[in-house]
Amino acid sequence: MLKRKRFLFAVMAIIPTFAIFGWVRMYPIVETLRLSVFQWNLLSRDKTFVGLSNFIELFGDDQFLDALTNTAIIAFGAMAVTIPVSMALAGVIYHRTRSRFAGFYETAVFIPHVVSLVPAAMAWKWIFDAKLGPLNAVIVALGGEAQAWLFDPVLSVVCIILLVSWQTLGYAVLIYLVGFRNLPKSVYEAAKLDGANGIQSFFFMSVPLLKPITLYVSVVTLISGFNVYAQAYVLASDTQGAPGRLVRVLVLDMLENSFQNFRVGYAAAEAVILLSIVLVLTAVQFGMLRQKGGK
Amino acid sequence: MTFRGRNGTVAKATMWSAGLMLAGTLSAQAQDVVIWGGFPELADFYERVAEGMSDEYPDLNVIVEPIGLRDHEKRVALGLSSGLDDATVLELIGSTANRYIVNDLLPPAPDDIAEFVNDAGNFEPFFRDTATVDGTVYGVPLFRGQGALFYNTDMLAEAGLDGPPTTMEEYDDYAAKLTQRDADGNPTVSGWSLRLSGGGGGIAEKFWINMHQFGGALLEPVGDKYRAAYANEAGLAALRQYVNAVSGDKTVTIDMPADAAAFQRGQTAMFIRESWVIGDTEKKAPELNYDTALLPRGSIALPVNLYVSGGSDAAQDAAWAFAIEANKPEHLIWLLDNVGWLPNRAGVDYSGVIEAKPQFSAFVDLPEDYDLFTLPSIEPINEILTRFAAVLTEAFADPSLAGDDAAMMALLESAEEETNAILDRAGILAE
Repeated sequence: MLKRKRFLFAVMAIIPTFAIFGWVRMYPIVETLRLSVFQWNLLSRDKTFVGLSNFIELFGDDQFLDALTNTAIIAFGAMAVTIPVSMALAGVIYHRTRSRFAGFYETAVFIPHVVSLVPAAMAWKWIFDAKLGPLNAVIVALGGEAQAWLFDPVLSVVCIILLVSWQTLGYAVLIYLVGFRNLPKSVYEAAKLDGANGIQSFFFMSVPLLKPITLYVSVVTLISGFNVYAQAYVLASDTQGAPGRLVRVLVLDMLENSFQNFRVGYAAAEAVILLSIVLVLTAVQFGMLRQKGGK
Repeated sequence: MTFRGRNGTVAKATMWSAGLMLAGTLSAQAQDVVIWGGFPELADFYERVAEGMSDEYPDLNVIVEPIGLRDHEKRVALGLSSGLDDATVLELIGSTANRYIVNDLLPPAPDDIAEFVNDAGNFEPFFRDTATVDGTVYGVPLFRGQGALFYNTDMLAEAGLDGPPTTMEEYDDYAAKLTQRDADGNPTVSGWSLRLSGGGGGIAEKFWINMHQFGGALLEPVGDKYRAAYANEAGLAALRQYVNAVSGDKTVTIDMPADAAAFQRGQTAMFIRESWVIGDTEKKAPELNYDTALLPRGSIALPVNLYVSGGSDAAQDAAWAFAIEANKPEHLIWLLDNVGWLPNRAGVDYSGVIEAKPQFSAFVDLPEDYDLFTLPSIEPINEILTRFAAVLTEAFADPSLAGDDAAMMALLESAEEETNAILDRAGILAE
C-alpha cells in the first residue's frame, strides 16, 4: 500500500515536469512534423495536405540546396577549427594553472561565449570590412593583397566559420579544462620517467585520453553550427552602407520561407530535414562515444 | 497586542487591496495603443503625433516600437496570425497589407475613417486605392517611398558635367567620368552606386526601377493575373548596365561602400533612392553639396498606410484617431521637413519645406508623363523578389557575363521560369 502511495506520489510529482516538457519541447516538434506535409500560408485557416511534395520540391530548390551546403560547410568547418584550437588552448591554460593569471586566461577565452551575438557580429563585420577593416590593413601592411572578405563567395563562408568558432571556443576550452583536470597524473609521471617531453605527452596521452570530451565537444559544436543564423544575417545586413554577400543558411532560409514567403509547410519540411541531420549526426557521434566507452 | 496587530494587519491588507483595485481601475481607464513601424527614423514623428493627441486623449498611452523593415514584416506576420492583445497601429506597404486583408486578419476602417480616406480632397485615387480592397477602406494612407537620382554637385562640376544625366546611356557616361581611381586604376569613389549585394528583395526592387527606365517591368499584369516579363530587351539592357558597371567599365565594385552612407561620405557620386535621404543627409552630412533629379522615365512609388488591429473597441477607436492625427497638416509638414518621407495627403501646403530644401522638387514636381509604378498586391511578391535577387547577386559578381548578351539572356530566361513557377503555384499565372 505504502509502495503504491509512494509510486503515485512520484508520478504526481513528475507529471508537471513532463507536461511542461511535452508542451514546450515535444509539441512544437510534433507540430512541425505535421505541418511539413501541408501547404499553409500562416494566415489562412485552410491547410492543404500535400503529402511529401514539400520534400520533393526542396530537393529541386537551388536556394535550399545552397543553404544546406553552406550550413554543412559552416558546421563542420567550425568543428574542425574549434576542437584542435580549444584543446590546445585548454592544454596551455592547464599547464599554467599555477600562474596568477590563470583566472584571467580562462575568463578571456570564455568571454566571447557570453557576449551577445549581434554586437559581436557587428564588431566582426568591421574587422572584415574590405575598405576600413583592420584585418585588411594588417594584410596590406605585411605586403599581402586586401581581400573582399564579406563579398567573395568562399571568403564570406570562411568569415562565418571564424565567427562561429570564436564564439564556441570559450565553452569548448572550459569543457577540455575539466577533462585535463581529471586525467590521471600517475600516467604522466610514468611517461616523464620514460623520457616523454610535454609535446609528446600531449599528443600521445592527452589527445587519446580526452576522446570522450572531444566527442562531446564535437556534438555540441556541430549542433550549434547547424543552427547558425544570426552570424550570417548580421554579416550580410546593412541597408545603407555596404551590405555583405548573403550566405544562405538553413535557419535563415526557413525564416524567410515562413514569415516573408508565407510558406510554413515548406519551411517545416526544411526544419524536419535539419532535425534529421542533427539527430543522425548526434547518433553517430554518441555511437562512437559508446564504442570507446565499451573498449 | 497581537490581536490588535492582527487587526492592524487585516486593516492594512484591506487598504492595500483597495489601493490596488483603485490603481487597477485607473489603469483600466488608460488606453494603450502600440505603433508598429518598419522605419526607425519615424519614431520621433509618431511621438510627436502622440503628443498632439494628449488634449483629446489624456489617458492615452502610445507605445512607439519601430524596427527594421524586414524584421517588422516578420513581426506583423506573427502578430496578426496569433492575435494582438493591444490595439496596434500597423505601418504597412499596401501590397503587403493585402494578404492580411484577404485572410480577414485586418478589420475594415470605421465609417468615419473610410469617409476621410474616400474624400477626394484628402487623397488622390492612387493612394486611396492602395488602402482599399474591393471598395472597402482598410487603412489610412500616410507616406510613400519614391525614387529619384541623388548626385554630388561638386563631383559633377569637377568632372565638367553640367546638370544630371537624363537618359540611361548618359548614366553610363556620367558614371565613367565620375569614378575616381587609385594609381592602379581601382575605383576609390564609385561613379554610380548600385545595389549589388545584401539580403532580401531590395536588389530586385532596385533592378526593377532601372529596368523601368528601359520601358520594362518584372511582372506584367494580364487581367487579374501576372506573368514574368524581364527576359526581354528591357531586362537585358538593365542587366547589361549592371554587369558592365561592375566588370566592364568598373565604375563600381561589389565591395565598395554603397547607398546613402557612401553618398554622405563622398564615396559615391550618384545613386537612386527615396526622399528620406534628404532628411538623413541633413543630419549626417549637412555640408554635402548635392541635388536630385527625376529619373529618365519614371519611378517606383510604394505607398505606406496605417492599419489597426487588436485591443478593445475603445482602444481601436483611439488607434484610428492616431492614424487621422498623423495626417494633420502640421505633422505632415514636420514629417517632410525632418524625416524626408513624402506625405500622401493632398491639399497640404508643403511649399515652405520645398523652398528651403529644393532637393524635394524631384519628388513632387513631376511632369504629366512621369510614369509611376508600384509593386503588385499579390501574395508571392516577396518570394518573387527575393529569389530573383539571389539570381541577380550571382550575376552581378560574375565577370564572365560582361559582353555576353546570350549568357545574360539565358540567365534571365531561367529566372523568369522560376518566377512563373511561383506565380503558377499561387494560382495567378497568366497564360
